[in-house]
Amino acid sequence: MSTLSAVVVDAASFAAWLFLVAVGLTLVFGVLRLLNIAHGAFYSVGAYAAVYAIGASVTLGWATWIQLVAALAAAVAIGAVIGLLTERCILGRLYGYPEPLVLIATYALFLILDDATKLVSGGGSLYAAQPRDSLGQIGIGGLQYPVYDVALIGVSMMLAAIVWFVLNRTRVGRCVTAVVFDSEISAAMGIHVGRIKTATFMVGAALGCLAGALTAPKIAVSPGMGVEVIVIAFAVVVVGGLGSIPGALLGAAIIGLARALTAHLLPELEIFAVYLVMAGVLAVRPFGLLAPAQARRI
Amino acid sequence: MTRRQIDWTIATLLGVAIAASLSASGVPGWIRYLGQLSTATALTSAGVMILLRAGLLSFGQGLFYFVGGYAVALTTKLAAITDAFVVLLVATISAGLVAVILGSFLARYRGIFFSMLTLAVSMVVFGIATKVRLFGGSDGLNIGLMSYAGYRPRGADAQWSGFVFCIWVWAAFSIATHILLRSRFGWLIRAVADNEVRVEYLGYSVKQIVWVAYTLAGMLGGAGGALAGLSARHVDPQFAYWTTAGDFIFVVLLSGQASILSPAFGAFLLEVLRSYASALFPDQWQSVFGAMMLAIVLFLPVGLDRLVTLLWSMTRKAVSRRSRSLAGGVVS
Repeated sequence: MSTLSAVVVDAASFAAWLFLVAVGLTLVFGVLRLLNIAHGAFYSVGAYAAVYAIGASVTLGWATWIQLVAALAAAVAIGAVIGLLTERCILGRLYGYPEPLVLIATYALFLILDDATKLVSGGGSLYAAQPRDSLGQIGIGGLQYPVYDVALIGVSMMLAAIVWFVLNRTRVGRCVTAVVFDSEISAAMGIHVGRIKTATFMVGAALGCLAGALTAPKIAVSPGMGVEVIVIAFAVVVVGGLGSIPGALLGAAIIGLARALTAHLLPELEIFAVYLVMAGVLAVRPFGLLAPAQARRI
Repeated sequence: MTRRQIDWTIATLLGVAIAASLSASGVPGWIRYLGQLSTATALTSAGVMILLRAGLLSFGQGLFYFVGGYAVALTTKLAAITDAFVVLLVATISAGLVAVILGSFLARYRGIFFSMLTLAVSMVVFGIATKVRLFGGSDGLNIGLMSYAGYRPRGADAQWSGFVFCIWVWAAFSIATHILLRSRFGWLIRAVADNEVRVEYLGYSVKQIVWVAYTLAGMLGGAGGALAGLSARHVDPQFAYWTTAGDFIFVVLLSGQASILSPAFGAFLLEVLRSYASALFPDQWQSVFGAMMLAIVLFLPVGLDRLVTLLWSMTRKAVSRRSRSLAGGVVS
């Protein structure tokens, strides 16, 4: 019984984290049609921003919730600024370029941002565990979990709801959906496609930083932590279907469950769980579970 | 057109190899070592170039580099074979086998799927390699001195023969690859990037072409990894890490894809840049590297070799106009 509840809580907690790191990536892919390798770097930039913001708030003696708000605000602000600069100065010039070149450009960005975090932090590991420690533990099914980790599940679901609401119930969201569907027709209908793309990239980058900031209290923040994130986020997005928000939710749920199951039942398979699920899904549905079939270009 | 024309690519490769072997004992050791490292990088990058000609960007070329390097380290360690020709063969064949197996799955994917799946595979291997004791964990393995078909050089002779061996292996593999790229298969690879459906209507299997190209890239990567292992006399899991694959992508991005000579030129440039940049900016090499990549993508996306090709075809056109005969403008 306790194994079952442990699997469920672990699955939910891991799926929540997966959705956090994947949602920005899939949003950017949907609108800009580019796979942003630098998303992993945004994640680590966000984590560093959170570490410094939490460190500063702790020295000032602020309450736990203010520490968290400060961390998230710092991460989102930095993400939006980097996103704006990146889209305006680099990626905006590359629309219509061959796919490999755009991928190389985002890889180059990853290297630069990753090195920048090393330069600022000095290269060692940093910790920001104060908010997580001060929130204490909670007992679920006979096991103790940090309240922070359980709360992340709620935050992730709230984020999913917000993204869904913005995309489906607001005017801006409908414009974004239209651009995803066909950017030329949207432009003809009077949607400012360039502005939508810039804004989407800013939101995507901010979401990447937000994911890093929310994860920072749980881990040792160190350089190079973004590499694993980009591969795993890609796996999540691919399982659900590139560019689809419900797909990211589904992919996160499936991979989270697979990882929690293997962690408890077959620990030696745990590090392969993500890749096995991805390979299995791609073998059956090459474009992911929720992506529509595509016609071949002649 | 019955007269056989000289293939200038093969002539250049042979010329460079002969010149390098003759001058090997005269040039300073560090230049020789840079050249030796470039041969390893050049062969591995040639694999990236072949796949890029098919429109596929591989982030997993480091995997074959890793397989080649570790094949050398493990055969010398476990089987006590020190003959350079044998270990090179073992490395190339094992990398080829790995590529055949992975290719059966990967050849179905294009674009970012191909890139990210190759990345995922090599990162998984990197993760395993850092933990397996047989592979020496994250410290890697050392490689002893080599013998060359019975000849066992020591000291300065060993450095000289290592260099000459690398140069000639590079030349031989490059010539073989060049002949293959010149053939119908080589043109089919380009056709895949252009339009897959048309290639299939012509009666070829695109999946097979990509599979063979991937295997070829794997074998070149294996040979390159073997040369790298022999030169540095050390291999570590970093070979399979994605930034290693990024180096090979950089080489092809810098030099372009016009000919088998391009990655050799790019590889030498990379090794020179790396040794200068790591002296000037020891901690910022990665951002210098990234900034150069961005600058190339933004300002010279076709690569440096297009400039050379352009000049070459201009001179050839001028020559052929003088001799009043037809001449092809394409150098391959």
